[in-house]
Amino acid sequence: MTVDPGGTPDGPADTAMAVDLTAAPVAAAADVPPELLAQSLGQYLRAWWRRVRSGDSGVLPVVLGMVVVAIIFEIITPEHAFLRPSNLVYIFGLSTVYMVLAMAETVVLLLGEIDLSVGAVALFGGVVAFKLVQQPGPGWPWWAAMLAALAICGLVGAFTGTLTARLRIPSFVVTLGMFLLFSGILVVVLGGANGAVSASPLVPNQRVFYDLVQGLIPPVVAWVALAVVVGAVGTALWRRAAARRRQGLVAPPASLTAIRIVLVAVVGVAVVLICTINRGTPLVAVQGVPWVIPIVLVVLAALTVLLQRTRFGRYVYAVGGNPEAARRAGVSLAAIRTWAFALCSATAGLGGILLGSFFFGQYSTNTADPGQLVLYCVAAAVIGGVSLFGGRGKPIHGVLGGLLIGAIAYGVSLLSLGQLATPLQYIVPGVVLIVAVLVDVLSRRGSGSGTRA
Amino acid sequence: MPDIPVTADPGETPGGTADAARAVDLTAASEAAAADVPPELLAQSLGQYLRAWWRRVRGGDSGVLPVVLAIVVVAISFQVANPAFLSAQNLVNLFEQSSIYMLLAMAEIFALLLGEIDLSVGLVMGLGSVVVAELVQPTGLNWPWWAAIIVTLLACAAWGAFQGSLVARLRMPSFIVTLGGLLILQGVAIIVLKGALVSIGNSRFTNELVLYDIFWGQFEPVVGWILLAVVVGATGTGLWLRDARKRRHGLEAPPRSLTAMKIVLMAVAGSAVVAICNVNRAHFGTIEGVPYIIPIVLAVLAAWTVLLQRIRFGRYVYAIGGNPEAARRAGVSLPNVRTWGFVLAALTAGIAGVLFASWQVSLTTNIIKSANSYVLLAVAAAVIGGTSLFGGRGKTIHGVLGGLVIGAIYNGLYLLGVSSWWIDVVVAGVLLAAVAIDVLSRRGAPRQA
Repeated sequence: MTVDPGGTPDGPADTAMAVDLTAAPVAAAADVPPELLAQSLGQYLRAWWRRVRSGDSGVLPVVLGMVVVAIIFEIITPEHAFLRPSNLVYIFGLSTVYMVLAMAETVVLLLGEIDLSVGAVALFGGVVAFKLVQQPGPGWPWWAAMLAALAICGLVGAFTGTLTARLRIPSFVVTLGMFLLFSGILVVVLGGANGAVSASPLVPNQRVFYDLVQGLIPPVVAWVALAVVVGAVGTALWRRAAARRRQGLVAPPASLTAIRIVLVAVVGVAVVLICTINRGTPLVAVQGVPWVIPIVLVVLAALTVLLQRTRFGRYVYAVGGNPEAARRAGVSLAAIRTWAFALCSATAGLGGILLGSFFFGQYSTNTADPGQLVLYCVAAAVIGGVSLFGGRGKPIHGVLGGLLIGAIAYGVSLLSLGQLATPLQYIVPGVVLIVAVLVDVLSRRGSGSGTRA
Repeated sequence: MPDIPVTADPGETPGGTADAARAVDLTAASEAAAADVPPELLAQSLGQYLRAWWRRVRGGDSGVLPVVLAIVVVAISFQVANPAFLSAQNLVNLFEQSSIYMLLAMAEIFALLLGEIDLSVGLVMGLGSVVVAELVQPTGLNWPWWAAIIVTLLACAAWGAFQGSLVARLRMPSFIVTLGGLLILQGVAIIVLKGALVSIGNSRFTNELVLYDIFWGQFEPVVGWILLAVVVGATGTGLWLRDARKRRHGLEAPPRSLTAMKIVLMAVAGSAVVAICNVNRAHFGTIEGVPYIIPIVLAVLAAWTVLLQRIRFGRYVYAIGGNPEAARRAGVSLPNVRTWGFVLAALTAGIAGVLFASWQVSLTTNIIKSANSYVLLAVAAAVIGGTSLFGGRGKTIHGVLGGLVIGAIYNGLYLLGVSSWWIDVVVAGVLLAAVAIDVLSRRGAPRQA
């Protein structure tokens, strides 16, 4: 079709796409998860390293990125304040919005599409939910308001998806239009340029929205919950692997399962420990795990199960990897694409509610710039390891990428930059986005034309 | 986007018409070729010409017809709603507002013709406006106005070269590169602005005055008429002589009556514009005459039309937009042409930036941030004008006409007292409708044949 399999003498034009096609069978061996091949920990690590070297590095770059960013900001922030517990908890609250939006974007990116309207739709969903719990006003119970907002956002996504999937209008143009549309509607719903809506912590029904990000789980409860979660997840992981081994199925080595469980426990303990350190004053204690941490984990778990364990998820990967092959295998492209956009927008709606909660339950036209929000979340997904070209990525990548973006955004704001502070809010995510995509493009190219092939 | 076809599905699922547009295009290319030949080349008389033109319109390649109809519909609707809409005063005002959209749409068309998109044109304009205004500040660098404009345009072109290289040589998706680019530019523009305000409104300094007059200045009424006569005379003679020479050499040429009609049409349209502009449009005192921006827009239009329609570079742009693989096999250097496309887009956006500085007079951080919203209008204007999002189809004139539609919608809704949020909603609806029509007309085109 319009692929140029070679480069012109003075440039390697269009090789990325062409290389991918020809290299698909070669790269297939490297794409098998190492779990399926390895029988011992050493084998597993070697297989994993082979996969990283072939360009499919998973979460490794973003984890390394986080370490580097943490070290750099710890060194250059005034008083080395970056890694203080209060800042870390704040970064987590800030990042949750990016995490949820990046997970939403991941669903669409997996298809090889893009949704530039998630920021505007998220804000719209948040404002709708906040409006519905107002008293005097609709006065809906918080759960009904939340469900209604997510449903409305889902419908918006279904509309976007229909335009993209059935008319085959390029998704970036459809969603650019939807972005403009909902940036306008958002202000209309808010009630004009000076409109505002808030969820007050004093009204029990509205307090739920306020508490989503601001509310804290008391330390004791947090430790108990952590023990229960780690215990449950650990038991489930161990028993599943054991069951597989018993039945002679492919399973990871026992040592690996153990390491994983320990890793989950260590990360959990670290997070709870940081959150339970008193970050207020000796007189007014502020300590505990924000509610939003389990909320994000639940969203992550739900999307991971949906994408990795259900037929819908397999179809999403199939369509993203090779739509023509998926179509010939009997997958309804239009249906999968429409549902994916609906799922993306509904998840974005949840992100919008969290955003309002993060800003102390206040929503106004100045709360967030929808354009900047969408850039942050696309950047978060791509930095996390989701490919812009479809078929490669997981929800966890959105979470890790969102955390990295949040850390960078907050770290930059900690520096006393004077006049450079505002411009850097734009420049840093712009550079990060371009670099992340550059790495994505180059790694795809590298995986096909690698020497090992 | 040239990399779409790799993932395109040439058939349809039972439940929907997914991906048909792409596939249909390929298979129908040979059939549609007959309809794509300009009617001028086939027709020997006016009647034949009109019939050929009508065949082409029915075949889906309707050129400027829809946008001209849209302008008429918009004009009638707003005139009914508010009789002030078609007053001479408002028409000049409308054209002045539209000139920014026109230039940005002409910029965007370079990217669209290649099958790419440039989301940074709004902010390139923003950066250009700040740079040109800062360069002429008497308390600052105090450059002469012409040097400031040249350096501004060069800076914008250099940025276009950077983005174009990333897109063309590394094959990064253009919408991501330019999305990241616009963020960076936003930051850079705010840095150049030094967080304060820059103004070119001080008429005591010649350099500031010249910049101010680019948007707000106008010719004396008499000069307007003389210029019109010169331009119509020169273009008319040129057209007539060219066609006559073609006929003499036995080449394909439009019928004589058509050439005459074109010249008359140009003279009538030109006279109407000059007459409207020469009506006094001030509430107090006198403001009359053709604004400078009209010849500026026309000059850019003429230059880019020649560039795209008459020289080799232009043919390569269309070739790549139509089918990059075919262009590559024909020996076209894809990276070079694509990079130059982005350079020209950014350069045109830089011209818009000079106009923008002149229009706003004072530039603040908030105005720079708002420059971002112009890119959507630019894409909308280009697509409404008749340029395809999928590359290879469109002309510079489409940007001018589409920009006029967008400007008219903004102006008309504003006159009716509609709040700017609702105007955004309307424009978004227009953009989506224009794109849907683009997609459907591409799908419909081969079926007619």
